[in-house]
Amino acid sequence: MTINTLLPRQIRFEAQLAWRHLRSGGGQTWLTIAAVASGVIIVIFIVGVIFGFQRRLTALLTDAIPHVTVQVPAARPIPYADLPGRVAGTSSSRTEMQAPQRKNIDDWRTVLAVARTIPNVRTVTPAVAGQGFASKGANPVGVSVIGADPAQQELVTPVTKNLIGGHYLGLAADEVVIDYELAKDLNVGVGDRIRITSVSGIPEPLRIAGIYSKGQGRGSAYVTLRTGQSMLAIGNSVNVVFVKVIDIYGADAVAERLTVLLDCEAKSWSSEFPNFVTSLKAQAASAYLISGFTLIASSFAIASVLVVSVQRKAKQIGILKSIGARSNQILLVFLFEGLGIAIAGSVLGAIAGIAVLYLSSLPKEAVGRFGGVPQSVIPLILDPLYILTAMAAASTATVLAALLPARRAAKMNPVDALR
Amino acid sequence: MASPVQFVIETVGLKKTYAGKVPTPVLLGIDLQVAVGEFVSIIGQSGSGKSTLLNILGALDIPTEGTVKIDGVDISTLTDDGLAVLRSQVVGFVFQSHFLLEELTCLENAVLPIAIRSGSATPEETEWITSLLVRVGLGGQLHKSPDTMSGGENQRCAIVRALANKPSIVLADEPTGNLDRHSGEEVFQLMRQMSAEIGIAFVMVTHDDRLARAADRILSIEDGLMRSLRNKAP
Repeated sequence: MTINTLLPRQIRFEAQLAWRHLRSGGGQTWLTIAAVASGVIIVIFIVGVIFGFQRRLTALLTDAIPHVTVQVPAARPIPYADLPGRVAGTSSSRTEMQAPQRKNIDDWRTVLAVARTIPNVRTVTPAVAGQGFASKGANPVGVSVIGADPAQQELVTPVTKNLIGGHYLGLAADEVVIDYELAKDLNVGVGDRIRITSVSGIPEPLRIAGIYSKGQGRGSAYVTLRTGQSMLAIGNSVNVVFVKVIDIYGADAVAERLTVLLDCEAKSWSSEFPNFVTSLKAQAASAYLISGFTLIASSFAIASVLVVSVQRKAKQIGILKSIGARSNQILLVFLFEGLGIAIAGSVLGAIAGIAVLYLSSLPKEAVGRFGGVPQSVIPLILDPLYILTAMAAASTATVLAALLPARRAAKMNPVDALR
Repeated sequence: MASPVQFVIETVGLKKTYAGKVPTPVLLGIDLQVAVGEFVSIIGQSGSGKSTLLNILGALDIPTEGTVKIDGVDISTLTDDGLAVLRSQVVGFVFQSHFLLEELTCLENAVLPIAIRSGSATPEETEWITSLLVRVGLGGQLHKSPDTMSGGENQRCAIVRALANKPSIVLADEPTGNLDRHSGEEVFQLMRQMSAEIGIAFVMVTHDDRLARAADRILSIEDGLMRSLRNKAP
């Protein structure tokens, strides 16, 4: 039993002849297959690199920040002129506004419950965030303080993996984890005591339980939720709820949903970094454009080879027509030929493309910061969906490229072809 | 009920003029009838229109004027696909060059018209074609490629291919033209045998007077017109 017998009987002749054409084509067939494979390799590599860079940049940004931040909006002063039921008279044309202040979320447990019902939400963490001064003796240094349950905060902004020394999980109420830069400025180490004074003016003596480094400038100081609440004197309330989502590109939808469901202000990471999102889109567009042009270029190469092939087979087309082959049968023979090239080229291209991606991912860059994990010099992404899409796009382009010479073959006058 | 067709080919006032800057008339009015099982040879000078006539009789080309009926069907009423079906089922071709497909074996070439007609040959059809190939002395060449066979063997294979769909008529355009005298004689005798045994009409264009004389009827084309040189074989 041959593969041909698996095909419907009506197209066996066309399939068999196309197969024989490819087999007898030898070097020319392999060159055409190589053209398709090259297109697939380039597409897989370009898409892999560009989306790999995107993923690394996005991860670099979004791993360390909450994807959605829920706060109670600060009340905005209403100009006297806009007040309902105002008494007519002169009023100031200028409204003084104080600097934005975080308001407390008293019923934060309801916020958590509501947020957890929204699809795409991975984790929700109540926290206290504020500014303060860290000091060891004299020279206070400004620091951002985040008070949250360490186990939950770890899911929002991973600290443990960046620790140089000490611990974060199991943090005690009188302990703090600080950034390496701050530790350097204060000249302190794990186990030393420092004082953090919040904007409310309450000084809190804390022992350094851990020092971390993200390699991205100065980071926050982490305390427990209870300590944070105490430092900002907000009782059992929190002033922010951090949300981490599964699909970071769905963060906008989650933020919108939270704003609708809760009387709060929910901001997604992408609204905080609009230029970053725009540059990601531009990168994606360039990946698609390069891929498209590559496939178009390889299609032209394939079409020109097949046009020559049809010219060389003119006499054979005449013979086939003289013994009863219909035009659509001739068309099908050359389309099957194109399909065979497409399948072989895209499969070989996918295998080679994956190999190229794998080999390119092997060189690792030198670790730029203490305790860091070495990363690939070229960040790459190997997504089966992209590979299958590249194969499908290359196959479609090849079959379309085969259509023109196939139509020419089908229209060939048998008498002219035999002459 | 339609009356049985007496003539596999019937032309009335067949004219063919090739269009161009200067139109070139080739056939000026051919009236021809070929009966079932008849063996007809056509002779004439090079460029006299023999091949053009054969192309029209085989539904590969259409006349400029006149009527051409193949197996009772007026070819002017058929579409391109209709003409292809007619060629597949009613007509067999043998060319001066064997025109076998180099990608296929001898047996595959011989069953090609069946494959074109219905996708692939049934075991019975393959068996029948194999028996024909064995008959013409190609039993040992069934799975050989045409480029490994001699000219005479290839032409015998081409004759079997022309007979594959059991056509009503085989049109042979100088089938022995590329063969030596001995091979040419073999091929001609083969065609005569098949014509007699299977009852297929043959129209053979040839430059070889000796072979032409062995046909049932000899026709000559001169200046675009046809005349009969002899009606019956001696």
